[in-house]
Amino acid sequence: MGDQGYYLYAVCRGLDPAVLARVEGVGPAPLEVVEVLDLQGVVSAVDLEEYGEAGLRSNLERLDWVERTARRHDAVVQACAQHAPTAPMRMATIYLDDRSVRDRLELAYDPLAAALSRVEGRQEWSVKVYATPSGPVREDSEAVVTSGAAYLRAKKAAAESRRTAEARAMRAARQVDGELSAIAVATRHLRAQDPQLSGVSSTMLLNGAYLVDAEDAPAFAEQVAALVASLTDIHIACGGPWPPYSFATVEEP
Amino acid sequence: MTESPRAPERPGPSSVTGPYERSSGPQSLADVLDRVLDKGIVIAGDIQVNLLDIELLTIKIRLLVASVDRAEEMGINWWKNDPMLSGKRDELEQENKELRERLEALEARHG
Repeated sequence: MGDQGYYLYAVCRGLDPAVLARVEGVGPAPLEVVEVLDLQGVVSAVDLEEYGEAGLRSNLERLDWVERTARRHDAVVQACAQHAPTAPMRMATIYLDDRSVRDRLELAYDPLAAALSRVEGRQEWSVKVYATPSGPVREDSEAVVTSGAAYLRAKKAAAESRRTAEARAMRAARQVDGELSAIAVATRHLRAQDPQLSGVSSTMLLNGAYLVDAEDAPAFAEQVAALVASLTDIHIACGGPWPPYSFATVEEP
Repeated sequence: MTESPRAPERPGPSSVTGPYERSSGPQSLADVLDRVLDKGIVIAGDIQVNLLDIELLTIKIRLLVASVDRAEEMGINWWKNDPMLSGKRDELEQENKELRERLEALEARHG
């Protein structure tokens, strides 16, 4: 066991620390709450051999380590966000001691308080739109095509119908984003996920994050269901509620 | 690496998670990384991990996951459909070959 540091997961307001009792942190140490005025930094002690500069640099190269840490980090943030307004920190925000956590929260008090007010009573929903994989384009090349010209015509028609399908799917994705943005209080477009990471081979047309008032969540879900029913050129995946990762933002003081 | 890679999610019927209901099962690693690496509040820690490192990291994760063995193990064969990659090239090569054969046939017929 090397020196100890503190891993900061999130900043909350009005969180009952008791709800964290059964939640695991990234390491063996229990979660603690560092209070600065009405802000609460949720931290746990970590071994600086693992979470110090050198440790992080080598650990961030290991997908198993990254996945475990990312999931633990997210689990802590989820637990906080279920009970109180929560501003999630980026993964691996590390301080040398609790004094340093306190100093940083004091320094960033105003923007953190503002971020918490922005997300209070609201949820982040994720809506992803994929192109529906089009069936194999029918090319009658075997039997019917008897001339080079007909062959080229068939090729051209196939390319044309692919393009039309793509354009239809893009329009549908824009419609989804437009209708859901109208219900949400804020919208962010995340980078389309790489098929290697998402495990879905279809093209991702929209990776939207929507901040929704908790009381509007049923209306949001209904709208998603209506879009799913009416738009057949696309596949829609909706997930949530997420903690407001995409919406609790501060400018570095 | 997860011990047993999840089966890739197939684009099937659209999935909707009802409000107030947690999505069942673990969130996909891609979704979690999207948020904990790319989003969330950035305030300086005492230990600095350069954001460039994180950019690099996501690329590295992609490369790692993309290694053919690993991808095949996960049942991912996306490159077969990726127009930027071999799929399209094969298709074009095949098309060229077919056109060449037709041309040869025509030329042979017309002497």
